[in-house]
Amino acid sequence: MIRRAAKWILAALFILMLGAGLFAPYGYEAQSRQEIASPPSRTHWLGTDALGRDRYSRLLYGGRVSILLAPAASIVSVLLALIMGVGAALAGGAAQRAATTVIDLALSLPWLFLLLAVRATLPLNLPPICSIAVTFALLGLLGWPGPARVLLAAARRQLGSDYILFARASGAASWPLAARHLAPNLAPVVLAQFWTTTPAYLLAEANLSLLGLGVSEPLPSWGNLLRELQNITALPHQPWVAVPLLLLIAALSCCQLAQPPREFSI
Amino acid sequence: MGNRRLAAAALRRLCLLLLTVLSAGLFTSALVRLAPGLGSDERQFDLRRSNDSLAALNSGARTGGVLADFRQYLVGLARGDWGESVSLRRPVRELVRERAPTTGLTLFAGLTLAWAGSWAACLVLQLWKRTALDVTASILTGALLCLPAAVVALLFLYLSAAPALALAAILFPRIFRYQRSILDAGVRRQHVLAAQARGAGPLAVFWRHVCRPALAEVSALGGVSVSMALGAVIPVEALCDSPGVGQLVWQAALARDVPVLMHVTVVIAVATCIANFAADAAANAGVPA
Repeated sequence: MIRRAAKWILAALFILMLGAGLFAPYGYEAQSRQEIASPPSRTHWLGTDALGRDRYSRLLYGGRVSILLAPAASIVSVLLALIMGVGAALAGGAAQRAATTVIDLALSLPWLFLLLAVRATLPLNLPPICSIAVTFALLGLLGWPGPARVLLAAARRQLGSDYILFARASGAASWPLAARHLAPNLAPVVLAQFWTTTPAYLLAEANLSLLGLGVSEPLPSWGNLLRELQNITALPHQPWVAVPLLLLIAALSCCQLAQPPREFSI
Repeated sequence: MGNRRLAAAALRRLCLLLLTVLSAGLFTSALVRLAPGLGSDERQFDLRRSNDSLAALNSGARTGGVLADFRQYLVGLARGDWGESVSLRRPVRELVRERAPTTGLTLFAGLTLAWAGSWAACLVLQLWKRTALDVTASILTGALLCLPAAVVALLFLYLSAAPALALAAILFPRIFRYQRSILDAGVRRQHVLAAQARGAGPLAVFWRHVCRPALAEVSALGGVSVSMALGAVIPVEALCDSPGVGQLVWQAALARDVPVLMHVTVVIAVATCIANFAADAAANAGVPA
């Protein structure tokens, strides 16, 4: 019941953000010079920021960026993990040991530090769209080792089961075996990894953008909308500034509740 | 036999450590060398500069190749020379040495607090089995997990609390969730039920029959928690204005200071490997026969 409700809320958020062009009254970079840092009003539901941009419109557009690209990055990670994990499990022997070492090695690397190193070497005149793509692509490309370890273990467990033994005894070759028998049984694990990595990437983007190393202005994302919270002493006088944070918490809570039980971890 | 297995595990870990240092160095060298923005700085946007001047700026940044860079990095590492910070104009080694104690203290205090809180919460939930307590703990940790680490750091900055407290608040829900699920699995085992049926006290059951058999997994979680802490220390130190290695990395990333980023990444990779190695050794030593 709770899982279903969480999925419905996520779907509603997804539709709202996806339809930002329809639901937002202004563009994300449209400025109203007469209304700088104004409080909520009938024309600006969440007020305007220091540059006179409508916060509500930016929230919808920013949400669209985060809610579309975090799952996309997650798909990249899980696909890489699937190829690595299942490939190694099927190959067995030395290839499997080599894959395990590579995964261990990749898990030892501090991915946040690497991410910062790569972000720091991007061109200064990089267009905002590219900065978004690079940020999420890096998250996706660097986030595969954790899911790969889980999928390798799951694939090994499946390969050792009786039905696989029977299929092998019946003459099934490795890849048809993987496609016909292994894939359907690994699907719940893959799905669980997707639900685990998506909120992690939403949080990572928020952290990077809050530090000024994520999505660059004027494009909004949940992360760079949270930068207004840096003036945290003003929060009691402008509580509406915290709306992006509340929405992010709501989305992440729904992600926790929507996934299979006991699989959530960041 | 046991000693031989321990020695083999230690050798494997040492090889992994060496491989990590090499691959972190090679990886960062390659990334930096191949990155499209290498060497680009504000001076390139100065319209008064001639084409020759711009070409000189660009060519200065790209000398040699990935392997040449990597070789230079290894030679420097062997000599104990970590290069010089581009933005701070000081040796990287000196900068790291200067800031490491602050980060070490923050990490130690943060991890200690988070682990103490997690053990205390697990003990309370185990001894007073109340659904309301369980639900409250789940909601509280779930909510904390949904907060970006940087927002938690800002909140603690607002409260004028020490950075270690912010780090503890970031780590606590993660450690608690894993630890609780490990201990929960232990509680459901049959020998625990048998001990309870024989009239053993709840505290004795919890320590002797639930915690001790789970020490190996909890120790492994210890290694993982160090990695989590190293990741969380960047936003905490950057936003709480704590002069540690995390803040140095953040400033280096903003200033495009590649030598600092490269060497700190390697240092952190080594620290992660050592933490995992120590956790494995503790798990092997502490598992009851």
